[in-house]
Amino acid sequence: MKSFFDKNYKTPIWFKEKELSKRVLAQKVSRRNILKSAAGATGMMALPAFALDSQIQASLVSAKQTDPWLTLDATLAHLLPISATGPSADDINALPYLYQVMTVQPTAANEKEFIVKGVGWLNSFANSEYSKAFVLLSIDEKELLLRSISRSRAGENWINTLLNYIFEAMLTPPSYGGNPKGIGWQWLEHKAGFPLPEKGQRYFELPSRAKVKATAKVQRTAQNTISVQNLEIKRSTKA
Amino acid sequence: MNNINEVDFDICIVGSGAGASPVAYTMAKAGAKVLVLEKGPWLTEKEFFKDELAISIHDAYNPKLSDEQHVIEEEYEDEEGNSFWQGEATSDSGWTWWNGTVVGGSSNFMSGYFHRLKPIDFRLKTEFGAIDGANIADWPISYDELEPFYAMVEREVGVSGRVVQHPHQEPRSTDFPYPPIAEVPISSWIDKAAKKIGYHAVPVPRAVLSEPAMGRRSCEYSGYCSSYGCSSGAKGSGRAALLNHAIATGNCTIKPNAKVYKIATDNKGEISGIHYYDAQGRQQSVSAKNYVVACQAVETSRLLLASTGEKFPHGLANNSGQVGKNLLFSGGGTGSGDFIYDQLNEQQVKDLKVVGPFVNRALQDWYKIDDKAFVGANTKGQAKGGTIDFLFHQNPIARARGTQWGVDNEGEDKLLWGEELKQSIKREFTSYKTLRFEVFNDWLPTDDCFVSLDDEVTDKWGDPVAKVRIGYHDHDLEVGEYLSLKAEKLLVALGAKNISSSVSGYPATNLMAGGCRFGDDPKTSVLDKHCQAHEVDNLYVTDGSFMPTGGSVPYTFTIYANAFRVAEHIKQQWLKKA
Repeated sequence: MKSFFDKNYKTPIWFKEKELSKRVLAQKVSRRNILKSAAGATGMMALPAFALDSQIQASLVSAKQTDPWLTLDATLAHLLPISATGPSADDINALPYLYQVMTVQPTAANEKEFIVKGVGWLNSFANSEYSKAFVLLSIDEKELLLRSISRSRAGENWINTLLNYIFEAMLTPPSYGGNPKGIGWQWLEHKAGFPLPEKGQRYFELPSRAKVKATAKVQRTAQNTISVQNLEIKRSTKA
Repeated sequence: MNNINEVDFDICIVGSGAGASPVAYTMAKAGAKVLVLEKGPWLTEKEFFKDELAISIHDAYNPKLSDEQHVIEEEYEDEEGNSFWQGEATSDSGWTWWNGTVVGGSSNFMSGYFHRLKPIDFRLKTEFGAIDGANIADWPISYDELEPFYAMVEREVGVSGRVVQHPHQEPRSTDFPYPPIAEVPISSWIDKAAKKIGYHAVPVPRAVLSEPAMGRRSCEYSGYCSSYGCSSGAKGSGRAALLNHAIATGNCTIKPNAKVYKIATDNKGEISGIHYYDAQGRQQSVSAKNYVVACQAVETSRLLLASTGEKFPHGLANNSGQVGKNLLFSGGGTGSGDFIYDQLNEQQVKDLKVVGPFVNRALQDWYKIDDKAFVGANTKGQAKGGTIDFLFHQNPIARARGTQWGVDNEGEDKLLWGEELKQSIKREFTSYKTLRFEVFNDWLPTDDCFVSLDDEVTDKWGDPVAKVRIGYHDHDLEVGEYLSLKAEKLLVALGAKNISSSVSGYPATNLMAGGCRFGDDPKTSVLDKHCQAHEVDNLYVTDGSFMPTGGSVPYTFTIYANAFRVAEHIKQQWLKKA
């Protein structure tokens, strides 16, 4: 696939699971969702300002100078701009959150690939229309360009994917890297629950599940003198 | 085969949720040596957070669907109008059927609406007669036999509530041991509106402690409750309420990350041991005097069907062919109405914005429908009805999803971003609040709703996964719609706008029972009235699998009560032999 406008593009399962498409949203009040959401909340608490550790922050600073992060930063800023009406992409740490989704959270490889490829397609399209990279376009040019790609299925899904991460950056516990000091919750008058997870307690850091015996893997890598099974046991003890 | 862990246990329990924990608790307290094998990890209050990413977006307390899945068979029609059943693996559809694969099981994540069944639920066939296409059967026990165990659960697990007289109030031997948990102001709005239109709003008993007790803290009203793990210990999960006490006796061993794949039998048909994979995937086995299976309905049937032996070629305790049959979910649906802030006064808006306490109101006026106008009624104009519960949702990411959709000048859907998106999100969160209701009515047992083993799909250990056919009976939809309309009428009386409801034949996968019916006839049931297998003396099933019909309330309370009842029987048998 070379552009958002490829006719062979089919919406993948990872996107469908997010229930972002209009069709799925219309069916949201279904039996599948009964009792799956929550009731009640109280009390805003003191929240950590920003939970990305310094190493990740530093690497993001340098990563932001080049693509895909350069273009993703500009796209997020366009999707949730600075204005008096509410926090911007920058205010909610949308880029650091997305960076964490791509580098720390166990996000599916095909989803990450789609996000990165989309940057390439966006810039090719910007170059063909304006002979410039996306980040160098005016606000009006960016708007026209994004509107054009949103008319394709892949383009719509790509923008929708970023919008979904804007929602997450705005509304998840700050330990995931977005929503500094609960800025999104405050803006939307949402009372968060407690306790909230800190770093080390996030969904991908919960105790691991039972493993499958690695005999088959050991046989396949027989030249390796240390058995994979032993490696796995050590790893699980550490966790 | 590695037998390093073999110990002579008095009882080995597969599973650790609401069906398993009362047995572990009762037997450990009686002095028996108990082993609990649980497939998931052993978490504590310290590992439960109000984290929407963990609970609803990434389902972190359950297996990955690529590791462990189900195959769900739905009914389709071909071009000639002939019906056929087609299976789809949940790893392809993304529709999870796991409800909490950790020590304590799904009871860690329940809402804890603890309504009892009512006497008519135990004799549905006698009360309302047969329904074509449904395999309705009376229970081999009566409400009176289970009542003391409902009272026991209220005491030992901890149920907070308040008895009010209403037309369908079931008989009770005791009052609630704990006062009701705190309520939002809307609860009294519901009381008033219900009274105005002749309904009886009933306070919902909750398996949530309203005050500290039994070494557990009180509810801290942190907000998110339903579907979230409880970090105060107030929610009466099998883990917090029972297993912790079982461990404290010194008689109970819990082995987490232990996935049981077979209950082995010898050539006499007696159980020779339970085989499981340990945390590192090594095969282990263990033997005990008594065995209990309580893995939640679908997985219990799967384990029995997978446990073939010389005397049980079609699965353990399945020479009758009944294992997996007559699986139940809950009929019903959901509905909602919106309260628009700018149509209300300041105090009303303030009342609506209170979060933390619970709505805790239900309607049971039509638990038995007596209405000749009802299309599904029998010749006497009667039918089994159900329960309606009211609640607020809280998950903000779920709420935000959808705000990115708007309409362009041509009336077509368009993605919103920029200033339009900001206004859309702000409006969604700050201009109204939605009151929801959930309808619970019987899911009639039919020949089209059952568990079998899939021929092709295996889990990460290489064992065949459960295949679930999810056919429903049209009667369930008729009752669900009847009740939904009644609930909508209350929303009208409350002044709500945008009122709607949705009833469908899709099962709510967190509400499952049946598959190993109990009954007096070994030809038509798997278990006897003590939930002991007709075909195997020392095998019991104590989760929701035993139910021939499911009643019209969530299952957990009745699963607990029945497991305490069976535990008492197992204890008496064990004491006799000891």
